[in-house]
Amino acid sequence: MSEAANGAEQELDLGWMARTGPWETRAAPGKYGLTIADISIGDYGEAPEVSDNLTGRPRGAAARPASYRIGAYSVRSKSEIWLDNASFLYEEALQRQWSSATDVPWHTIEPLPDDVEQAECQLATFLTEVEFVAGDVPARWVSLTTPDFYEPRQVLLAQVMDESRHMDVFRKRALANGGGLMQATGATSGFVGSIDLSRDFTEMSSRLHVSGEGAVLTLFRMGELMAQNEAEKVIYRLCAQDEARHVAFGVMHLRYMSETAPERREEIHCYLDEAEGGLIGAANPVGQLTPTSESMAIILGGGKDHFDDGMNKIIAIRRRQLQEYRKRVISAGFGERFENGRSRVAQMIDEAA
Amino acid sequence: MANKPAPKPAPPKSTASDEKRTFEPKYNWMNKTRQWGVRVRPGKAGLKLGDLNVGIYGETPTQWADQSRNPRGAVPRRGMPPVGYSIRDKAGLWADCAADLYEEAIQRRWAPATDVPWDTIEPLPDDVEHAVCQVCTELVGYANVDIETITGWQHQMSYGYHEVKQFLATASFDAARHYECFRKRALANGGGLGLEGPGMVNRMILESRGGWTEAVVYLLVMRGAFTMTLYKYLGRHAHNDAERFIYAHALADKARHVTYALDHLKYAVAHADDALQVVRTLIAIGEGGLTRDLRDPVLPEALAVIFAGGVAKAAGRGMAVYGELMGDFVQTYLGYCQWLGVPRDPARLPPPLNEYANPNNAERRVSPQPKPSPNSFANAAGAANPKNAGA
Repeated sequence: MSEAANGAEQELDLGWMARTGPWETRAAPGKYGLTIADISIGDYGEAPEVSDNLTGRPRGAAARPASYRIGAYSVRSKSEIWLDNASFLYEEALQRQWSSATDVPWHTIEPLPDDVEQAECQLATFLTEVEFVAGDVPARWVSLTTPDFYEPRQVLLAQVMDESRHMDVFRKRALANGGGLMQATGATSGFVGSIDLSRDFTEMSSRLHVSGEGAVLTLFRMGELMAQNEAEKVIYRLCAQDEARHVAFGVMHLRYMSETAPERREEIHCYLDEAEGGLIGAANPVGQLTPTSESMAIILGGGKDHFDDGMNKIIAIRRRQLQEYRKRVISAGFGERFENGRSRVAQMIDEAA
Repeated sequence: MANKPAPKPAPPKSTASDEKRTFEPKYNWMNKTRQWGVRVRPGKAGLKLGDLNVGIYGETPTQWADQSRNPRGAVPRRGMPPVGYSIRDKAGLWADCAADLYEEAIQRRWAPATDVPWDTIEPLPDDVEHAVCQVCTELVGYANVDIETITGWQHQMSYGYHEVKQFLATASFDAARHYECFRKRALANGGGLGLEGPGMVNRMILESRGGWTEAVVYLLVMRGAFTMTLYKYLGRHAHNDAERFIYAHALADKARHVTYALDHLKYAVAHADDALQVVRTLIAIGEGGLTRDLRDPVLPEALAVIFAGGVAKAAGRGMAVYGELMGDFVQTYLGYCQWLGVPRDPARLPPPLNEYANPNNAERRVSPQPKPSPNSFANAAGAANPKNAGA
């Protein structure tokens, strides 16, 4: 019988007290509380260039030589996933969480003409379908990333939560006003070059965060144009706020990658080549003319009778998407593609003029 | 004016006006719906995810063959290459409570940076700070396994059961919060991280590749019940409001995870052939792994130091409270097994679990203890020397 169970005295070993990470650490809360930036001090703030942590040990903790190698992490190089502002993005995500059940003024939704409601429901179906790509895929990468890079993992976990809320808020919208879900688009299926199938984190991030979510962010920022009521305005505004963080993750990661692994720049340009093709593809509601872009035109125009007005707005949004995409890629450190003729974005912007 | 360069010829291009001219809307997507006229109204607690489960939108089939992201109730698009979801049987993940737990998790969100009253943390005796930091290190490790396990399975779950995927998004986010919160506590009061945990249960959880249900048994029932018990006792022995806040909120989060787990397992054993036997086998194997971790002295000793208020009474009073904790855990665990229909004979649990399962030991566990050995304290004092840090 163990001594703790039978109440007998036992001599404690206490050897663990001598096996610690760096000691006498005293992180202090700042203006924004005690953030993870505040605890990135001393050796605890040093993420290794290459992680040899295969046991899941918290970064900075003392290792047990006998620990099982249960990590099986495929993302172990800092340049593969790191970004300099992960702490900020994570803490902001925590502060800006919202509830689709109670923060959206659902009572402001009023019956709409049937063509507009159908269009709203088609768009909501599309967004319900695609939003959780950005939940499924980052989740998978979290499970493959060493905890030595816990800061970017935290941001990705916040993203999974955000996307879950987006999936549910658009489902709610589709079922809240006398309509229903309509036809899925299949836009996120397993095509070669899709976000799902990427076998490298940066490849995935360039597609998901920079081009995909970047395009959706522009769309959500047009919420004032698209919304029929206060509930929809709030939905688009809150979703845009979340998407902005996700896009920032991708841009900042590409920037870090560009600076620390220049040998991968050409490879990244190839991903951006593909991403730019996608900017006018079927997965973009203001891309090529698809059921979703038809529904967008009805929403933006105010009905089937004003379809052309809606199309004008679609094309204006597409132009803005492309301009914002270009700014992001420049910010990420890959702007030369717009100078050396590699990118077609300038031409695409002209075509949307 | 004469030197003005000739304008470049404009490149041929399609324009927006071309696009408008050449495009005629088809509207062939209109009226493609499986159920129209749905008007879900917000209730007292807002418009909740579960409220949407009306008509066909609430139908969750026992199998979900669609491998696309077709939202449940939408008209599918045929011929799309599959995304590759491997969990497509309802029995493999479902819990009726998932939608409610999802909304509850969102309502009960908290931010460690700003909600925890960090300014209430005061310097502690060095032995106690060592113990708190060691326990926090192990709890960071537990949260890490929560994160890696849930995210490793979540993307494999098909869209037909979106409530579970969404609840698990909250669960992995909870775990992220626990990860940072316990790390913050360890680094906030003159200490640091301690020694990584022994890892047998971690291994068992992460190597559960047969299915999500298997992972649930280990992650959320066995480890979950243990972690909840730890939070409960650590909350009782918290040194300041910051720690009290952390343990209380982590406990509330973990209770949701365990609630999902029990509901899911109940569903699984009721609806999947052989699931009851599989769970029974998993539990029997898992108890062996759990006892290997429990035989490691580090966590029990650190807890005992906290419970006793220092090394001096850790071997006596501290270990007595640890014994109570273990008894509490074993009773909770046995209760879960009983409820799931896989009752365990306490006498046949592997040691030391069987010893904690015996209520007759309770009195002896809390009986007064002699003073600890001075040698033990000498070890602890050595650890407090910064020269030993980083060993």
